[in-house]
This record gives sequence, C-alpha cells and structure tokens, in this order.
Amino acid sequence: MKTISITVNGKPAQASVEPRTNLADFVREHLHLTGTNIGCEHGVCGACTIEVDGGPARSCIAYAVACDGATVRTIEGFAADATMHALREAFSAEHALQCGYCTPGMLITARDIVLRLPDADDGRVREELAGNLCRCTGYVGIVRAIRRVLEQNKL
Amino acid sequence: MSNVAGKGVGARLRRKEDARFLHGQGEYVPNIAMVGMQNVAFVRSSVAHGRIKSITKPAGLEDLVFTIDDLIGVKPIVANSALPGFKASSQPVLAQGKVRFVGEMIAMCVATTRAEAEDIAALVEVDIEPLPAVTQMLMARNTEGPRVHEHWSDNVFLETKTEADLTDIKATAAIKVRRRIHTARQCMAPMEGRGVVATFERRLDQLLMYSSAQMPHINRAGLSECLGIDQGRIRVVSPDVGGGFGYKALLLAEEVCLAWLAMRLQKPVRWIEDRYEQLSAGANCREHDYDITGYADTNGRLLAVDCDATVDSGAYSLYPFSACLEAAQVGSILPGPYVMEKFRCVTASACTNKPPILPYRGVARTGVCFAIELLIDAIAREAKREPYEVRLTNLVPPEKMPFWNVTKKYFDSGDYPEAVRRAVTAIDLSKWRARQQQDEPDGRRIGVGFSVYCEQAAHGTSVYYGWGIPMVPGHEQCNARLSPDGVLEVRIGAHSHGQGLETTLAQVANSILGIDTENVRVIHGDTAVTPYSTGTWGSRCMVMSGGAVGVTCKEIEKRVRNIAAKLMEVAAVDLVLADGEVRVAGTDKKMTLKEVAHVWYRQPQLLPPDVDTGGLEATLGYKPLQDTGTFSYACHAVVVAVDTELGAVEILDYVIVEDGGTLINPMVVDGQIFGGTAQGIGTALYEEMPFDLQGQPLASTLADYMLPGATEVPPVRVLHMETPSPLTFFGQKGIGEGGAIAPPAAIANAVNDALAPLGVEMLESPITSRRLLAALAKAGTVAARA
Ligand code: FES
Ligand code: FES
Repeated sequence: MKTISITVNGKPAQASVEPRTNLADFVREHLHLTGTNIGCEHGVCGACTIEVDGGPARSCIAYAVACDGATVRTIEGFAADATMHALREAFSAEHALQCGYCTPGMLITARDIVLRLPDADDGRVREELAGNLCRCTGYVGIVRAIRRVLEQNKL
Repeated sequence: MSNVAGKGVGARLRRKEDARFLHGQGEYVPNIAMVGMQNVAFVRSSVAHGRIKSITKPAGLEDLVFTIDDLIGVKPIVANSALPGFKASSQPVLAQGKVRFVGEMIAMCVATTRAEAEDIAALVEVDIEPLPAVTQMLMARNTEGPRVHEHWSDNVFLETKTEADLTDIKATAAIKVRRRIHTARQCMAPMEGRGVVATFERRLDQLLMYSSAQMPHINRAGLSECLGIDQGRIRVVSPDVGGGFGYKALLLAEEVCLAWLAMRLQKPVRWIEDRYEQLSAGANCREHDYDITGYADTNGRLLAVDCDATVDSGAYSLYPFSACLEAAQVGSILPGPYVMEKFRCVTASACTNKPPILPYRGVARTGVCFAIELLIDAIAREAKREPYEVRLTNLVPPEKMPFWNVTKKYFDSGDYPEAVRRAVTAIDLSKWRARQQQDEPDGRRIGVGFSVYCEQAAHGTSVYYGWGIPMVPGHEQCNARLSPDGVLEVRIGAHSHGQGLETTLAQVANSILGIDTENVRVIHGDTAVTPYSTGTWGSRCMVMSGGAVGVTCKEIEKRVRNIAAKLMEVAAVDLVLADGEVRVAGTDKKMTLKEVAHVWYRQPQLLPPDVDTGGLEATLGYKPLQDTGTFSYACHAVVVAVDTELGAVEILDYVIVEDGGTLINPMVVDGQIFGGTAQGIGTALYEEMPFDLQGQPLASTLADYMLPGATEVPPVRVLHMETPSPLTFFGQKGIGEGGAIAPPAAIANAVNDALAPLGVEMLESPITSRRLLAALAKAGTVAARA
C-alpha cells in the first residue's frame, strides 16, 4: 500500500492504494466515480479516457500511485464547463451516442479536440478520434457533433 | 400546456435516454455496488480439448475456490432443437471431466477484489491431458478421429437438406458458376463486456441478479432450469447495457455459477468480463463456408442455386438459440429476394473445439448475403453485363408483391429493383466507370460494388415453433398505466441498449394519446415489473414492442374517452386527444389527462357507471397480422480504391438505399444503419479471430482483434424509401440488423471489380492486406512486396 495525494474533480484526496491499482479502478472503486467506463484495460479503446493534468489520458494504463500529486478530472467533473456543455448538446442533437458506454471517454477526447484544434475539418476530427472506439454509432454522429461545436465556436 | 405535436411517429426526436449517459450516470452492471460484495475470477482452460486429470485448490484457500464437484444439484445448460437429427450437447457450468474450448471455465474463485480473486485463480493447479482438437469444420462429418462429444457418431449438431432436382438445369444452363466462399470467425465485441451481480434477498426468498443481458426473462427461465428454483423466486434486472448485438442474448454459465455462489455465501457476488476473457472465450460468430453454384441463362437470369454450407457452431449448443439456428437458416434464407426456379441446399452445423456460437447482428444473413451477392457478380462477369443489371433481372419486381420466394418466405412489400436503381444513381456509377478507363495517378485501382439483402425481422410463433428451441415468441405484451399525475408508465419485456426505445416507444404513445413524450416513462429490463418477453433480438422491438405499446395505448385511450365523456357530458366519439388534453371537438371544452386520471384515483364517485374496472391501467398483447416477419431491405453501393502494393482498401464513397417501412424516428433509424454498417465494414476488412490447429485463439487484445475506428469508417449516405408494411401497427419494419448484413458483400464486390483485370477474385472475409497480397501474388500479376 502506498499513500497518494490526488485532486479529483477539484477535491483534494488522500488515499492508500495498492501499487497495482490502475487509475480507472481507483476512481471507480475507491471514489465511486463510475462515469469512467472500462472497455479493454489495455489502452486501445479509449472508453476510460479522463483528464490528467489538463490533457486526456487513458486511466486504465496509468497506475494510481504514478498519479501522486496529479490533478484529475472525470466526466463527473465538467458540470460548469462551457465546452462540455456545448458538446453534450451537440452529441444529443446529432445522435452521437447509442448505448452510451464509449460516451464519457469520447466527450473528454472531443473536448480536447475542440479546444486544441479550432480549425479541424472532418478528416482531422476522425484522425483525432482514432483512439476512441465506438461499436454503436459508426462515428457519423460523433464527427458531426464535434464539427457542430467547432463551427459554433467560430461565430 | 406544452405543444406536443411533432413528437409522435415520424419525428426526429432527440433521445430521452441521452442525458444520463452524457453525464456519466449510466447504470451499467459494473457500476452496481452492494455492501459486502465479493468479486469472482474464473480459472479457464488453456487448451481447446482435453481430459481433466485433476484440479488442485491452493492450500488454505480451499473455501474460496469452487469446481463442478462443489456445485451439487446444478444442472448443465441444454439447448435442444426439435429439428430431426439434432444432436444435443450438455454444457456443464464449470468443466466436468473434459474441456472443449480455450476459455471454458474450470473453477470459480472469490475474494474481496477482482485482483485478489485473480491471485487465487493463478494458484489453482489444473492438470489436463490434451486431446487432439477438432478445429476444421469441413471435417466435421468424419466419423473417424477425435470427437468433441465422445458419444456422438461424428462432429455435426445437425444436417439439413433442401432438395430439388437440378438435372435438367445442369444440363442446359448457359452459365454455370461455382465458388468456394468463406467468412472468418468474429467476436461481436460490444464496448461493454458481460457482467453479473447476484445476491439472495432473504425477505423475498428470492435470487436477485443484475446482468448485462438482452433478454432478461429468458435468462430467468434458464436460471430456473439449471438451479431448480421456481421462476417466481428469481428476479433478473438488466440495467443499462453497453451494447448487445447478440453477444448478450443467452444464458451464461457465469450467471448460473454466480447465482449458486450468492446463495451459498449469502453475500452479493460480482463478475465482470474483461476484454481478454471476451476475445479468447467469446469469439463466437460468423464462421461460414459455402460451396455454391449458380446456374443462369446467357443473360444472367438465375435458374437455380445449389449450395453446400457449413457453419462452425463451436463446442456447445447455447441457450436459447441452439447450435443449429444459424446453419439451418442458411438453407431457408439464401435465395432471399431473388427469383429462381430451383434451389438445393445442404447445411451442416459443425461442432468444434471453439467457443459456441451466438447469433450476431444479421445472424446468418451476413454470410448468406456475402455468398449470393458474390455469386451474382461472378455470373454478371460471365454474362458480360453490369452486376446491377443482373440484379435488376433477378430481383422480385414490385408487381409480384406480396411474394412467396422459392423457400416459401413471405415478402410483405417493397420495390427491390428501385432500391438498386436509386443506388446506381446516387453512387454515380457512370462517373466511376469513366474514371476506371484512366490510370489513377497514385497507381491504385478503383472498383464499384453493390449488394442487396432483405432482413426478415420480428418473425414470430409460426417461424419459431418449428425450431423447437427453448424459446418461441408469442404475443408481445405491454403494460401501460396512466398515473395519478398524468404521467404514462409503459412497461415492456424487451430491452433497450442503444436502440432508443425509451424515446421511440414514447413517440408511439404520443401518436395515440397525444401525451407529451416527456410525460411517458418507458420501463424495461426488470423481470419483476415487466411482462414476459423473449427480449431483444431479430430486429423485433419496434414491430413487436411498438405494436404492443400501440394496442395498449388504444385501450387506455378508450377508457380515458369513456371517463371524460361522462365528466364533460358529451359523447365519447366527439373527443379528441391532443397536447395532453381531452378536447370536445368544435368547442373549447377540455380536460387534461391529469384531470381525467385524478377522477379515477381520487374522485371515483364521479366515474360513469359502466367504467372499465381495469381503470387507467392495461396489459395487452400484440402480434402482427401475420407473424412470419417484416422484410426490410436495402441496396448498398460502395466505391473502393485498392492499393495492390500495400494490399490496402480505402472506401471512397458509400451509399445505402434502404426501405424500413414507416420510420418511427428517422434519426434513430439512421443511427442503427450507420452503426450496423460500421460493424459490416469491420467484418469486410478487419475483424477476424484466427485459431491455430490446436484450437488456440490468436487474438487476445484489441490490438490484434481490429475494430474499425473513426478513420476506417467513411461518412455513409443513407437514402430512404418508405413502403409501409401491411402487416404492422404503423407500417414499420425491423431495421436493427440490416446495416451489418450488406457491407462485406458490397465491399468484396467492389474489390473484385477493381481487381478483375488482374484475374483476382477475393472470396473470403475479411479482406485483409495479407489476404489481398497473397491473392495478388498467386495470380502472379503484381509482385507483392514482402
Ligand atoms: S479501457 Fe482504457 S483504453 Fe480501453
Ligand atoms: S455508443 Fe455504444 S459504444 Fe459508443
């Protein structure tokens, strides 16, 4: 067991964790933040994407002990975020989710795309989404939703 | 009062279920926690076929490890079929004596966390004497050699024969084309795997199981059979489910084990499938082989099709669909919408040392479409005609509707040739034909491909009773209740896991009762509060549950009218239900639904003397006028560029012309088509679970089992035709599976169109670069790069 200090969704926390516990299990099982879904546990599907120190990261292949001192934001931590609000609206309007399992990870990646690449076109959005798998939507609605927010931001 | 017009059948209404998912509040099985909950990990077989000599529990941890010898009284899973000649298998929920596929469960280990349970599992010693594995489905008929089930005479679950005398046609047909066609084994791979939480509730003397399941009522029936507990003492809840596609349409051995364990320990227990378990033990669909011959006249008009088809059904017959559904279906659905004089087909459901198969989105149709559509293109090349023209020659024309095809399938409606014509126009075939005359600057080769399919959906009793499997769909029921505050509660036994039923069924209620969809709660996924249903499979929900909600809301409407007529002192026929109100036509007299409900619940002294004693709650059942199924269909057209040096296939354009009858919510329909098509593209180009000759699965991560991502799936254009079905409540047809059926055939035909000048024809899916380069090298026309 090792004690770590970590800020999650704005709240500082101290926790004692096993060295083998990954960050996804830590937020889900220790903090009961179950909005972060686990799809593969080997860093391919992107379902577990959360924000670590300001950028998207795969929480299934990060150890909690390696995140000592980090600032983490999960899907539960974006209530006051304007970009996330716009994305949520756009995802619903464009039918960018079906079963919803990939959605939290997808939204966190989408927010990163919108903020980092204001001029991204469809092709670039698709490239940026390459690390987030969705088995339901065929990506059509997801790409449209992200483009919709990018276009809104240009107004 | 809100304006609720424009929220009914046909509206592109946003989904009611979105909000919780967008906020990370989906309630999937892994999110369910209970006080004192323990976690389970399974010891699984590392060999495909072998005799268990011993299982040794780790010293000091014996109480935390369970084998089949501990599960006293638990019965094996048996899914028989009444089809003559079917050989039954018996699947012990933990291996007994033998193991029959890699990943079969041998022991169950329990601990506080999954990690600790896995630690214990790693200490369990299993001594297995390996036996030669049966991995070649085409050798299943051999009576010599190893057998998966020793008491069988061979390795075939079932053989079926559709006979026809082809002697004359064989002697005279101008065109005869024979092909060997194969589709790879796949894993359905929903983003969420399976998962189970089980606990025993003493107060109710009841097993409560949360399971990520498409057909919770069927799971309950199966649990009851295996555990010997009355169904009334089992409650199965399927909460939010992260994708199904057929992968969660069965009784799991894991469910039976967890149920037993929860009762044994008197504690909640949880098992969550990880991706490694899923890929290695759950690659369970789509492996078909066809030896198919088409006979046609010089024009390419089909005279007969003769086919010998084999499906690799894996080691056991799964509950409830059985091991033979898929192969036997081939024998009845292969001709589809094509007119032909004769059809002969032999099928075999082969038993092998691989995971048992489940019906994946499209079931046998994806393989069947691949076989017949590649055959049509081969015939077109022989006839020297455009493949789409040969399709127009052979597809059932609209004036023949309704149409009984050669295998006696009843086609309810539609204009198949028109779908092809529209696809030809939309893809702009002549533009691409002109471009093919010139060399591409990048050296790639362009090809255009078409495929047509039909999707028999919501097929019911008359189709299923003959299979004699553990499940036969009958009337689909809905329970609806107008509550005291005017909210309509709608309970259905099917399950929604992405299909949007919480919204689309509310639209159905809106169309009949004029109630705001915001005031409709669709409740599903809980055997304790919903009517019995066979669940979600076979693109049946919008037809069956949609129809059930329709007839039940009609009944509620009648009762609302009766009460409101008395209260407003008018005739019931003069009332109009709209915008959440009951209005007297031609006047401004009106009541809200809430006011009507209030009288039933709180002011019964005001009710009419002939009031229906059922009040504002009703349960009704529904079946279409004829329950042989609706036939939706589509033509897919695709343009590809093939890089003959890299073996890469890029999709340049993709058009779908689809007829799903009346669309309840076009946005949701398009979503189903887009998602299905993405899966079909995976089947066509990427997804494959190879097994070696020892039966070892060769892909165990998503880095080896390739799911299509946003860069692999192109923007797809969907055009709708809407021929209402004469059989269903609103004219709707089932469309949930269609998208996944046609892409492999359309893409293979496009690749073959591109490569025809090189003498290369791809007949096996997926068309990976390895396969493509090998075919090119074999043809000797292009030196493939090593
Ligand atoms: S669960 Fe982390 S990438 Fe798949
Ligand atoms: S919505 Fe189901 S995986 Fe993306």
